[in-house]
Amino acid sequence: MAAQTSVIKRLLLVIVLLTGILAAALLIALSSGSSREGMGASLAIIFGQEDANATLETIIWHLRLPRVLLAVLVGATLSLGGLVFQALLRNPLAEPYILGISGGSAIGAIIGIMLGLSRFPGVTFCAFIGSLATLVLILVMSSGTTILKKDALLLSGVMVNAFCSAVIMFLVSLTQDARLQNIIFWLMGDLSSADSRTTGILALILIPCFLVIFFFSHAMNLLLVGKETAQTMGLPVKTVTVVLLVLTSLMVSATVSYSGLLGFIGLVMPHLLRLIWGPDHRVLVPACILGGGAYLVVCDLLARTLPQQGEMPAGVITALIGAPVFIFLLKKSRR
Amino acid sequence: MIPPSVKTISFWLVVVFFALFLLSRADAKTVVDQMGRRMTVPDAPERIVALAPSITEIIFALGQQDRLKGVTTYSNYPPAALTLPKVGTYIRLDLERIVALNPDLCIATKDGNPKSAADRLTELNIPVYAVNPRDIETVAQAVIEIGGLLNAEEKARDLAEQMHARVQRVKTQVAKTDHRPLVFFQIGVSPIVSIGTDTFINELIVLAGGENIAAGSTAYPRFSREQVLALAPEVIIISSMTRGASFEQIKAEWQSWPKIPAVQNHRIDIVDSDLFDRPSPRLVEALELLVKLIHPELFGNPQ
Repeated sequence: MAAQTSVIKRLLLVIVLLTGILAAALLIALSSGSSREGMGASLAIIFGQEDANATLETIIWHLRLPRVLLAVLVGATLSLGGLVFQALLRNPLAEPYILGISGGSAIGAIIGIMLGLSRFPGVTFCAFIGSLATLVLILVMSSGTTILKKDALLLSGVMVNAFCSAVIMFLVSLTQDARLQNIIFWLMGDLSSADSRTTGILALILIPCFLVIFFFSHAMNLLLVGKETAQTMGLPVKTVTVVLLVLTSLMVSATVSYSGLLGFIGLVMPHLLRLIWGPDHRVLVPACILGGGAYLVVCDLLARTLPQQGEMPAGVITALIGAPVFIFLLKKSRR
Repeated sequence: MIPPSVKTISFWLVVVFFALFLLSRADAKTVVDQMGRRMTVPDAPERIVALAPSITEIIFALGQQDRLKGVTTYSNYPPAALTLPKVGTYIRLDLERIVALNPDLCIATKDGNPKSAADRLTELNIPVYAVNPRDIETVAQAVIEIGGLLNAEEKARDLAEQMHARVQRVKTQVAKTDHRPLVFFQIGVSPIVSIGTDTFINELIVLAGGENIAAGSTAYPRFSREQVLALAPEVIIISSMTRGASFEQIKAEWQSWPKIPAVQNHRIDIVDSDLFDRPSPRLVEALELLVKLIHPELFGNPQ
C-alpha cells in the first residue's frame, strides 16, 4: 500500500516537472523562427495580447504550432518506442532506428509514395507493413543465439539498417518522381511538412497507443524481471509482447511516414529518465512521452534556427547528440 | 455665370460616389492559373514574392521589380535580385519567411515548386498564381500572364514579340545549312547526366540546328563514358550546373578520348547553367549562344 502511494507521488512529481519543461520548450519554440521576429512580440501573441501583429499571429498559430505539436508527438512516440523495445528485448541499446524498424517503414513509405497513394492511410499502411516485416526479420535473425544474444540483436539491426538504406537508394535511383525530390531531407528526419491536418491525424493514431502502452506499464516491469517470473505471476507473456511490439511498430511507422527517419531519440530519453527516476515503467512511460516530446521540440528548434539560410533536417541534431550517447552506453554495458 | 443648381451638384456627387464605389470594387480580380485554380488577386499587387529564379527574371524583365519583396535563394539575375530578402530555395520554401513578408501575391512554377507549399500558402489566404513555362513558347506565355497580373500588358507583349523575333532569326540562320551536328549536352559530371527529349534544352538544341544524341523519353538520362564514346558526338557542351567543379578538369577527362569527334575538333564548350536551366526570357540568349557553338561556320568562323 505504501509502495503504491509512493509510486503515485513519484508519478505526479514526474508529470508536473516534465509538463513544466515541455511547456517551456513549447513557448521558446513557438516564439522563434526563421522570420527573426522579436521573441517579445511572439510571446505577447501567445498570451493573447490584443492589437497584435496579424502576420506574426498567422506565423505562430498556422506555421509554427502544427510543427511544434508534430515534434511533441514524434518525440514522444520514438522515445516510448525505445523504452518498449528495451524492456521487451531486455537490451538497453534496442531502439526502433538502431534495429532498422524505422528503415523498414521508410521502404514501405517510399513504395507507397511511388504507388501514388495518399499520405494517410495509404503510405502509413505501407510503412506499417514495412516495419512489421523488419521486426519479424530481426526477431528471427537474433533468436536461438543464446550466447552473445545482446550483440546478435544489435548486429542484426545494423545489417537490416544497411540493407534498408540500400533498398531506399535503389528505389530512389529507379524513379525520377518529382514527389521524391525532398527525399534526402526526409531520410534524415524532417518535420517541415507539418500542417494542422497531418498533425491532427497523427494525434488521433498515437494518443490511444500511448494510453494502451501506459496500461501495460506494470506488465513491462514484470517482463523486465524475466519471462518465467512474469509467467508464474499470471502474465500472458506472449500476448503482451506481441501487442506491445505491434503497437510500437504502428506508432513508429506512422511517425516515419510523416517525418522520416529520426534516430536515437528512443535511446537518449529512456536512459536519461531511467537514470533520474529508476526503472519503474509506470513512471517511465509518462516521463518518456513528456520528456521525449520536449527533447524533439528543442532539437527541431535548433535545426530550424541554427543555419543562417534555410534549415537542416532535425535528424542531424538528434544523431549528433544520440550517436555519442550510444557509444558511451555500449562501452558501459560491456564492462 | 449661372451658379450650378442643386440638381447638377447632386448629379455629379452621385457620379463621383458611384465611380469611387466601382474603383473600390475593382481592387481585386478573379483569375485562373496554369494549375486550373481559381483565385482572387489584387488588381495591382504591390507585395509580390517570386517562388523561382525564373519568375524573378520575368518580373525584372517587365520592369516591375519595385513590387518584388522576396525571391528564392538562387535568384541571382539580374544582380539587383541578390539584395532582395530570401525565402528559401524553390524546392524547400521557407513558409515562415514568405508569410512574414506579408505578400499580396506569390508567383510559382507548376513543375518546380512543391504543390504542398502552394496549397499551404493558399490556406493562409495568400494567393499563389502558378505559371507553367516548359519551352520558349510557354515562357512567352508566362511573360504575358505575369504582365497581366502586374498591369504591364504592353511591356509583356513587347517582350514576348522580341523573343519570337529572335527565335525566328535563329531559325533563318539555321535554315542556311543542312548539317545537323550531333550534340552531347552534359548537365551532370559525376554521374554523367544529359537531357532527354522532353526538356527545353532539347528544344534549344533542335532550334539551334543540332541533334541531341541523348534524345529519348527519359528526361535526365545518365550515361557512362563508353556510351558517349559510342555515340560519337561532334559537339560537347557542358553546363556549369555542378557548382565548384572545375571546367578544365572536366574537359581534360573528355580529352583523354581522342576518338570522339568533338575532342578531335576541339569542340568542347562550357556554358552558364543559369542561362540553360531556367525557363526565363533569357532562353533566347541561350539559343543564340548555342547556335554559335553548334554552327560556328554560319558566323564566319571556320570549324
